Amino acid sequence: MLKDITIGQYFPGKSFMHRLDPRMKLLLTVLYVVSLFLVPDFWGFLVIGAVIALVVASSGVSLKVVFRGLKPLMFIIIFTAFFNILYGGGEPLFPNISWLAWIKTEGVRNALFMIIRIILLIMGTSYLTYTTSPVMLTDAMERIFRPLKVLHFPVHELAMMMTIALRFIPTLIDETDKIINAQKARGADFETGNIIRRAKALIPILIPLLISAFRRAEELADAMECRCYQGGEGRTRYKVYSFSWRDWAALGIMLLAMATIILFMIF
Amino acid sequence: MSKIIEVSQLNFSYPVDEGMAPAHALHDVSLEIEEGEFVAILGHNGCGKSTLAKHFNGILKADSGRVTVLGLDASDEKNITEIRRNVGMVFQNPDNQLIATVVDEDVAFALENLGVPYDEMVKRVDEALEMVDMTRYRHHAPHRLSGGQKQRIAIAGILAMAPKCIVLDEPTAMLDPKGRREVMKTITRLNRERGITVILITHYMDEAVQADRVVVMGEGEVILDGTPKEVFQNVGLLHSLSLDVPQTAELMFALRQEDIKVPIAVLTEEDCIAELEKLLGGVTHDQN
Repeated sequence: MLKDITIGQYFPGKSFMHRLDPRMKLLLTVLYVVSLFLVPDFWGFLVIGAVIALVVASSGVSLKVVFRGLKPLMFIIIFTAFFNILYGGGEPLFPNISWLAWIKTEGVRNALFMIIRIILLIMGTSYLTYTTSPVMLTDAMERIFRPLKVLHFPVHELAMMMTIALRFIPTLIDETDKIINAQKARGADFETGNIIRRAKALIPILIPLLISAFRRAEELADAMECRCYQGGEGRTRYKVYSFSWRDWAALGIMLLAMATIILFMIF
Repeated sequence: MSKIIEVSQLNFSYPVDEGMAPAHALHDVSLEIEEGEFVAILGHNGCGKSTLAKHFNGILKADSGRVTVLGLDASDEKNITEIRRNVGMVFQNPDNQLIATVVDEDVAFALENLGVPYDEMVKRVDEALEMVDMTRYRHHAPHRLSGGQKQRIAIAGILAMAPKCIVLDEPTAMLDPKGRREVMKTITRLNRERGITVILITHYMDEAVQADRVVVMGEGEVILDGTPKEVFQNVGLLHSLSLDVPQTAELMFALRQEDIKVPIAVLTEEDCIAELEKLLGGVTHDQN
């Protein structure tokens, strides 16, 4: 049951998007988000829409997946739209129906604008995680933020922690399933009762899980020491990244889109 | 042959709460491991065998006594990296020693730590995977592999450092019979073909029998030390340490107690059959 979690899911593949350098993908995502917030009117969304269409076409991950991912966020989208309508100005949209007088043209326009913006935001960032493995993302972040080391920011340590966390997620999920089954076999009940009772029922799962996680951490530390781990100092890397024509092409397209949007803003 | 690990009068106890008597995990242990040897260290739970192993590459520090690895003093922090590079260690639970989410990246971990240049690293990762016969899984995620495969990846991660000696702390305890066979085959092959010194900590007798030398520990001390044949003659002593002996030796022991004259240390089934045939007066087993 725990294996259905899909946040930040990665779909392995060999498409154009998959083969982009993860550092470039991070940069492109940042540019994308900035452009999205610079968009002044509906016409600007056409540009962003074109960018996202290119991304979808060159990623090999179907749009259906994104819309499945949008479902849990429906509440936030509807909530945003509702408040935009509530506080929007302008003429009433339905002048003849008195109880709908609070819906005004300006409000509806704003609401639509926000909905499109949120959906495009989620789509763009989703395609980053769909086409980049978490390890590559961590790696890219370590490399991008490496200059911060000068300020004694623990870049390597944070990246190592994230790598280990990602590595142990499946292991700990398996373990949780085992513990749940073991407790069920002893007659534990996780399905009935009110929310407090159910929350309490989680304690016999969390405590063994926590103890085992600590034990694992200790053993892992020994194993890392045995393999001569002594921090980020003097380490070389097995994975090397280099920008190819793909990266420069993608950056070119993104900058073009951004420039177009800035032109929209000015005129 | 030169000595790869020399332990003399090693004492060690784990820290305990104040006021409690310190628990002696190791008491005056002296042991020498020759280069190229395949040594099995046997003992029941809590006899100090894992504690001893953790002294071989400086994970634990001796309270008193000396541990010397390749002539380097293990208590000197300066020597630690050199010692760990030469004495690799594989633990019981494969899940808790794999660091990366892709097989080849995990094998490269030690090399990254040692600052090995990229081209050299790629070559050594390839070789290490080849040695444990896992090359075709190089791009897999470790958590999708079987226990035996994961353990072989862990061994490859150590082999990449090109160590002279590998210490394996009950590497098969959590594996199914198939995984155990895979790992044992890999270990013996590394010893026979590559001349890597192997120290195998185990409580499986059938694994200990495959070694050149067996060291039996009990209550933090070395009790027996010799070839498998020498060690498994002491059936009574091993029983008193709550250790089993190989079933063949067990059978011979039982026969001798009935005053039947058979040699005591018979470790393989073939030898055992031969002995029984002799005893039964030349009856060959194909005559039913």
